[in-house]
Amino acid sequence: MSLSRRQLLLGAALGATGAVVHEDVGAAPLQPSTTEAMATPPFEVIALSRMAYGARSGDFARVRSMGLTAYVDEQLNPNFNNDTDCNTRIANATLRIVYAAGTGFPAMDEMRGLVTLNKTQPELWELRVHPANAERIRPIDEVVAANWIRAIYSKWQLFEIMTDFWHNHFNVWAYSDTRISSLWPYYDKSVIRANCFGNFRSFLEAVATSPAMLYYLDNATSRDGPANENYARELFELHTFGSQNYLNNIYDNWQEVPRDSQGRPIGYIDQDVYEAARAFTGWTVADGTGGIPNTGLFHYLDTWNDNAQKIVLANFLNANAGPQAHGKKVLDLVAQHPATIRNLCTKLCRRLVSDNPPSTLVDKAVATWTANYSAPDQIKKTIRTILLAPEFLSTWGGKIRRPNEVVAAYLRSTGAEVKPSAELFSWVTLAGYRMFNWATPTGHPDESGYWSSSNALLNTWNLLFHLQQSYFPPATFDLQGQMPGSVTTVRQIVDFWIMRMLGYQPSALVKTKLLKLMGQNGNLDQPPTGTANDVKLRLSSLVHMIGMLPEFYTR
Amino acid sequence: MDLTRRQFVVGCSSAIAAMAGGRLGGLAFAEPGDINRDIFVVVFLRGGCDGIGIVSPLDDANFQAARSTITFPSSGTGAGFELGSLSNVPFWLHPKAAAFKELYDSQDLAFIHASGLTNGTRSHFDAMDFMERGTPDNKSTSTGWLTRHMAATRPDGVVPVMSTGSALPASLLGSPNAVTISNVQRYAMQGYSTYGAQQQASLNEIYSQTGSLLDGPATRLLSSIAAVKARNPANPYVPITTYPAGGLSDSLKAIAQMIKLDVGLQVATLDFGGWDTHESQVPILGNQLDLLTRSLHAFYNDLVDYHSKLTIVVMSEFGRRLKANRSAGTDHGHGNLAMVLGGNVNGGRIFGRWPGLANAQLDHGVDLAITTDYRTILSEIVVRRLRNNRLGLVFPQISQYQPLGLVRGTDLTIDWTSGFRSYLPMARR
Repeated sequence: MSLSRRQLLLGAALGATGAVVHEDVGAAPLQPSTTEAMATPPFEVIALSRMAYGARSGDFARVRSMGLTAYVDEQLNPNFNNDTDCNTRIANATLRIVYAAGTGFPAMDEMRGLVTLNKTQPELWELRVHPANAERIRPIDEVVAANWIRAIYSKWQLFEIMTDFWHNHFNVWAYSDTRISSLWPYYDKSVIRANCFGNFRSFLEAVATSPAMLYYLDNATSRDGPANENYARELFELHTFGSQNYLNNIYDNWQEVPRDSQGRPIGYIDQDVYEAARAFTGWTVADGTGGIPNTGLFHYLDTWNDNAQKIVLANFLNANAGPQAHGKKVLDLVAQHPATIRNLCTKLCRRLVSDNPPSTLVDKAVATWTANYSAPDQIKKTIRTILLAPEFLSTWGGKIRRPNEVVAAYLRSTGAEVKPSAELFSWVTLAGYRMFNWATPTGHPDESGYWSSSNALLNTWNLLFHLQQSYFPPATFDLQGQMPGSVTTVRQIVDFWIMRMLGYQPSALVKTKLLKLMGQNGNLDQPPTGTANDVKLRLSSLVHMIGMLPEFYTR
Repeated sequence: MDLTRRQFVVGCSSAIAAMAGGRLGGLAFAEPGDINRDIFVVVFLRGGCDGIGIVSPLDDANFQAARSTITFPSSGTGAGFELGSLSNVPFWLHPKAAAFKELYDSQDLAFIHASGLTNGTRSHFDAMDFMERGTPDNKSTSTGWLTRHMAATRPDGVVPVMSTGSALPASLLGSPNAVTISNVQRYAMQGYSTYGAQQQASLNEIYSQTGSLLDGPATRLLSSIAAVKARNPANPYVPITTYPAGGLSDSLKAIAQMIKLDVGLQVATLDFGGWDTHESQVPILGNQLDLLTRSLHAFYNDLVDYHSKLTIVVMSEFGRRLKANRSAGTDHGHGNLAMVLGGNVNGGRIFGRWPGLANAQLDHGVDLAITTDYRTILSEIVVRRLRNNRLGLVFPQISQYQPLGLVRGTDLTIDWTSGFRSYLPMARR
């Protein structure tokens, strides 16, 4: 930290740099809430906590002035060319790759750009046979780095939130198989991002035919006699119906499954899974074996397909229906089922609103989803319904940020300069958020109970501390440089960071503790006392402390 | 910034350690409590381990017909280990489980075959939810079975329950005193010395009263950090045995160190995933078993001074299909194998009743049937080793206590009153 910065902290009247947009501290309500319980924040805080990875400098004021509807519509219509800062950062980003020499390849240790992100799918496919394992894994790390940059710098925050949602809904353990890892930029870009605001039925087929999912859930080797049930099971249980609609006690007696008013079975049974598994036999990847092409693209292998008749969800699928016909029919049946629609809408509301979303809100989402079943922007329209429903602003306190969200919000709100690297990835993993490295097909849990473990809290809190330190490469902080010259007293400094990081005043108790930490025993209406280094440690501790508050965690 | 590592301390100050004298976040900081209490370690093999492929009836004609491509031989290269018989059927242990053969021969390890969750679900996640809540027909129960067990024993140690890994398993759902500790040395908060201590004290006060979802978890974290720190754990931990490399060993070492710190640990849980062998089962299962058995062998002997009060159970959500699929793997099945290890285990035996593998003997004609409910196994350990007679609370849907003779200990008069409903509000705090 330069001398001038220290002087600034001690009250020297230096002007702010032009690059920093300051919060309008004076216009914000500065009265602490009167109870120790958390207050309900203004709408812009709710919106930026749920539709974004928190607020960058100026975001609270901007959303407050434009209003919720305009902000929602802006975010639902992203123009990725209009994201220069983020795009430039991705283009210029480097990530270290290091490995020892091995048979057929030399040692490597270099800072390398994110060069796989825009490779074509056949180009990526070639990487799987690279002799160095680190090269085969590399594409995942590049996507992880790019997604951290987007989470922190992209204008199109809602798109990033939803990308994360769908990666978890259609979870693939990218590190489990080097055929998956080499193709990972394709799954992220052409399957998840391409369908993020799109149509669910199309999305489902894009996933079902993606090499990543075909390898992950073993459908790539599924062939007649007996089929591999892994994908079919999770299609029902996780991708569509949800296990709450699994009638396991009925097992194979499909005629005993209760019907709804339109004659549809109300849930699924094991037999549906077994029959669906048969329908997907032969849905594999063109990997060059047995005379099929070697492109790494989806491939339908008719000789592996069980083309006999099947009964799925009480529908008869006639024998010899043609290539992929039974699999596509299964996707139709599961995608259009009301249980699937309610499950997906509940999950969307759980991500965007609270752990236990109001049923009235889910009902509204279901109505939009159903009315737009075939629309190319079905998902976008449903999200709009959720975000503009009265329930969006009338619920608060029912959800906490996951570790990756806490870290991203902390980096955004402090104006840190971030260069994603392995230290960041491994610490967030330690805290429990394993981006693309979650082994089971459930994806990361989306309920606060899971994320309140002592492990998640402790590692996240410690990471927030490390991020500010000079020995920790991924981020550089200049807290003093964020503050305008008019912010000099202890009280002003504390209020500045409260408004920057939280966007509203916390409880009186919290406020007292923050003032004590920054001011110690000095006069709160004077600049902080003590040596420059001591004041710097207190400022750093203040920001770290705000990052650990219940107000910062709530979303 | 120009800070170096020397300028901040790891962990808590004496002021924070002093807080450990008070009652914080549901943890009572008395002395370790009854140090003669047994220690119970639950290892959950996530993914559905292939029990019939681990302890296998190699002579059975139905087994041979269904599994010829993926099993191991009874003699020659790569042969399994003879274990003796169950229901007059001879069994062999997988050759990669040699470390367990030693524990079996020393009579510290017992197997229970054809056991598991009687609910017929073939879903991993439902099966785990049912089993770990201890209510096989209700996956919405808001407490785990270990949470209810601990409630009945009124734990008074400083860290009575721990889990390794990222988060608590469902068996500890709603626990007011469970913490997750994956690494004892790193179980400390980072901060600048004086200011770090102020942060911790303030956070403890703030999280005692905000009404946030994090109030209980955060205060529990802060107080357990103080308790561990006060005992000055060795860094690095030096076990008396050599563990294999890897995350499983790291988790086991964390549990071993916490046991040796005498913090009143009564229950620890550990997850080990990777058992969902739909594909390429032979190499995957072999590697998994090799790691599991060598790691637990090292853990058990690392705790040689604790054998008389240590019981370890190894369980999984379900077994796998008898017949292999065309991916050289097996799909989700039903009946499975459970394992119990400890100084008071009647080891060197296979318990249970073998139902047979003929079509008519299989569950739905395809999977190993279940002849021993997993709660029968756990109930015996709860009563005889953990000295808790409140089975009505721990497993509210059973009504009989039928010990198999797995472990030594005295039976108690069972309290079948559930107290289940009245317990729920407490669990939510």
